[in-house]
Amino acid sequence: MTLRNRNSHDLPLALTVLLGLLSVFGLSHWIDSHRPAADPNVEEERLYLTSNTAKRMSLGFNGLAADWYWIRSLQYVGRKLINHPDEVQLDDLGPLNLKLLAPLLDTATTLDPDFMEPYEYAAVVLPAVNVEDAIRITKKGIAANPRAWRLYQHLGYIYWQQQDFKAAGETYSQGAKLPGAPSWMEAMKARMALEGGSRSTAREIYLRMYEQAGDNRVREMAQRRLMQLDSLEERDALRAVLKAYQTRTFRCPSSWREIEGPLRAMRVPVNAFGSPVDPAGTPYLLVKESCNVDLDRNSKVPYQ
Amino acid sequence: MNHSERLAFRSGSLLRISAIARNAFREAVRDLVLYNLVLFVLLLTSAAIFIGALSGGQERKIIVDLGLSAMLLFGVFIAIFVGVGLVYKELERRTVYAIFAKPVGRGEFLVGKYLGLCLTLLVNVVVMGVGVSIALLYVSGGWDPLALRIWPAVLLIYVQLMILTGIALLFSSFSSPALSALLTFFVFIIGHFSADLKGLAGSMGSTAARWLFAGLYYLLPNLANYNFITPAAHGQLPAATHAAAAILYAFVYLAVIIATATLIFRRRNFK
Repeated sequence: MTLRNRNSHDLPLALTVLLGLLSVFGLSHWIDSHRPAADPNVEEERLYLTSNTAKRMSLGFNGLAADWYWIRSLQYVGRKLINHPDEVQLDDLGPLNLKLLAPLLDTATTLDPDFMEPYEYAAVVLPAVNVEDAIRITKKGIAANPRAWRLYQHLGYIYWQQQDFKAAGETYSQGAKLPGAPSWMEAMKARMALEGGSRSTAREIYLRMYEQAGDNRVREMAQRRLMQLDSLEERDALRAVLKAYQTRTFRCPSSWREIEGPLRAMRVPVNAFGSPVDPAGTPYLLVKESCNVDLDRNSKVPYQ
Repeated sequence: MNHSERLAFRSGSLLRISAIARNAFREAVRDLVLYNLVLFVLLLTSAAIFIGALSGGQERKIIVDLGLSAMLLFGVFIAIFVGVGLVYKELERRTVYAIFAKPVGRGEFLVGKYLGLCLTLLVNVVVMGVGVSIALLYVSGGWDPLALRIWPAVLLIYVQLMILTGIALLFSSFSSPALSALLTFFVFIIGHFSADLKGLAGSMGSTAARWLFAGLYYLLPNLANYNFITPAAHGQLPAATHAAAAILYAFVYLAVIIATATLIFRRRNFK
């Protein structure tokens, strides 16, 4: 076969390859754009493997499999967050219908019982989804790591959120007895008994969570909750100023500037326009109809 | 044979074994077995760069899990696919006749081949271990004690690979490479289910079944003894007594395997 003959034979083949690849690209694009919407019930099917089966089948690669389940649970939550129209806090993801989160975290912690971050995530995120699962996974962590005081902190936090201050206090107290546990754990027991539902207790809990969190998103959530607590106190103070003004003048101020003096006296942060600003730097709204103060919905401070 | 003759024979035997081992190592290098290191480095580099964004701050743990698991997996493939060809290739190429025409015993041949592949695996495991340590230093942005604490786990992985290489050699001493590879892979899987075998033996109603599963438990290598990747990712070190007992178990088990392989290989007729 001469070189020319061979070239003439190769050309159709090369064209077939090129056209075939172009067709594959076009078809893939078409299939992707015309894909029927996934049935959320099918998408949310239970995991194929139970956590114990996954552990048995991991053949010594259980740490890697645990990492995979951990990354999968983060992506599962992340995907739901992206598709959710409103901003939600990490500890208030109930509306996202996170049915698979508990089995994913359960599997990750069964595969690697020393892996602390999934327990922390379970304690913070799961109570809004299924509090029994949150308690079960955290207790499983305590059984596997009986000397890890931070797990008692997580469990105490879950009980506190459920307003079970007695159980929360006992859990903090048990954790306080472990070597390396900080002294505030013991103090928490008394605080829970005396003022479990108070803002100061909430501040203490979120402050400790902010200090101890291994996960940046948990730390960020704690920081936002601390901002929310600051904002609640600031709004109480602003309401008091508004009420005093109303009592004195029988009307509501038309703008924040009218009460700039008392605001500065109270050391409430004020912007260049004389409006008090929340801990995230967004001005508070003056609700003239009810002579009240409200949080701007665009603020980074959580509304609820 | 007097004492000095016995000593001379033994030192000659060691020389012959080391010559076969060196050749087996060279052959593995020529067969580009160590090219798997390139793939490993690519895997680890991409993990070190990209995993941080996916793992929620758990990149150190994931680097160790991924690195040591890849080390075990790549090692298992090398032990199985190179191990089963150690004897077969010499028979197929008929080079075995040239070797046995010299004063080389069949046992020396097997031990030399085995040690050659162990040397290949050692180079592989050490380079991979250094790679994991460097990746840890990179993701930590400085000194990280985990870079040193992973090494006992690396040692246990290597011991596990030594056992698997011995198993591959044993099967290849009487079977075809494909069947040997399959059987070795089964032993690797069952070796990780040893605890289940023991549990099964305990839960069986019939005495015969109980004895069967208990026998299998003791006969097959308990590879779960060498699983220390997950605790290593948390910076834990194995208990010295446990690690020492596991290593001793491996050497005893290897002595049994290589002796069995030699017994079988001695009876093979190459004509």
